[in-house]
Amino acid sequence: MHGTLSLRWAIFGCCGLLLTLTTGCARWIELKAAPDSSREPNVQAIARSEQVPLVMESISNTRNGSPQNLSLETEQRLLGTLRKVGLFSHLGGTDSTEPPAGGKFIRARLLFDEDIDQHAGDKAWKSIVIGASMFILTPFIPLDYDYAAHMTLELERWDGQVKRYESQSAGTSHYQLFSATPLMFDELKGHVTESCLTALMQQMVHDTTFYFASSAPVLDRSIHSVSVKSNRSKLTPVPISTSPGK
Amino acid sequence: MQSRTLAVILLATITLCAPIPISYAGENVPRPTIGTQEIGLSAGYLLSDCLKARCKTEQSGVAFMPSWMMTMTDPIGDSWYQGQLSLGAEAVYIQFQEPHLTHGIGFTPKIKYTFVAPDRIRPYVEFAGGPFWTDLGGKIPEQHGQFNFILTSGLGISYFLTDQAALNVGYRFQHISNAGTRHTNVGLNSSLPFAGFSFYF
Repeated sequence: MHGTLSLRWAIFGCCGLLLTLTTGCARWIELKAAPDSSREPNVQAIARSEQVPLVMESISNTRNGSPQNLSLETEQRLLGTLRKVGLFSHLGGTDSTEPPAGGKFIRARLLFDEDIDQHAGDKAWKSIVIGASMFILTPFIPLDYDYAAHMTLELERWDGQVKRYESQSAGTSHYQLFSATPLMFDELKGHVTESCLTALMQQMVHDTTFYFASSAPVLDRSIHSVSVKSNRSKLTPVPISTSPGK
Repeated sequence: MQSRTLAVILLATITLCAPIPISYAGENVPRPTIGTQEIGLSAGYLLSDCLKARCKTEQSGVAFMPSWMMTMTDPIGDSWYQGQLSLGAEAVYIQFQEPHLTHGIGFTPKIKYTFVAPDRIRPYVEFAGGPFWTDLGGKIPEQHGQFNFILTSGLGISYFLTDQAALNVGYRFQHISNAGTRHTNVGLNSSLPFAGFSFYF
């Protein structure tokens, strides 16, 4: 009788443990994408003679308002997406040399603002509750991680005209304690970034003709004039009074 | 006896950590992110800490504490208190050598806050609590039952040898009692200096 009771409790315990581990490992990503980011940008078939090269001039990255180091991954992803669109003859990164002056090419500048909300206070309380419940409440307490991205892409044509494109996207990763892995947050960031880039490309392909080689003549910009203003004019004179020596 | 046990613990820690190549400041600075897991083993010597006048038992013995933790947050804050929160669990085994040779085993969920502002040396505070069974209960006047609870609060320092391995030393205050579930519940208070190591993955 005692043996049967122990076996029943053991089975009950195993089922509970299995349930906690399986439901405690659930995770899903909720993406709030820009409206035009769901469609892939139309790949353009442009005559080779109309294509010009594009060179990345700068990539600025901020996270929660703080400047970050240049992310090569972001640059590679942007260049990869631009390559798929097929508007440009050649794509150069920030470390590549600029085509010779007088040539037709596009300069690109990317501003990439990331906003992360890891719900730290919320997690602290939930950790206490999960711990106090001996992890039994793990399947019923979801944890959240928000990630939002805002991208601004500036493309400057060889004649100095600038086109500016903006996109933003956000997502939330909902997960249970046992499914938290660094990989999961990379996945979320990957989806949000992809959504932003797709929205940027969607806007860019509307201006396809703007980037044609025949769209504008080359301006003679080989001579740059630099004006340097003196700061002296800003200085306010300090009155000095002198008194004759006694 | 106590010094011999401490020497064994220290020797075991050094032996286990000897194969770990030490990297120097500036290289491989540890950056545990959300979801980074930590497994560790700590050992120490429990010393009686009688806080009440009616406390008679001066218990002592070795303690082993294997643990698992998961990093819950990326660094919070931007000042000296910048740190990361971890949640996990720890098993506690204590071999009481005084006043009777007895054993105790427990399971405690644990919460830890690690200060990350210092680079490779990271102080932390921790709290843990959970059920604890010991056959010392019933043999001493303070605790009559064998089923008890153990509460732990402590502080320590982790020294990261690499970005994935750290040595830990610290101090814990432990309280063992039955939470009033059985009569005579004076409780046993102990100090527990400990040393150990952790691996992050």
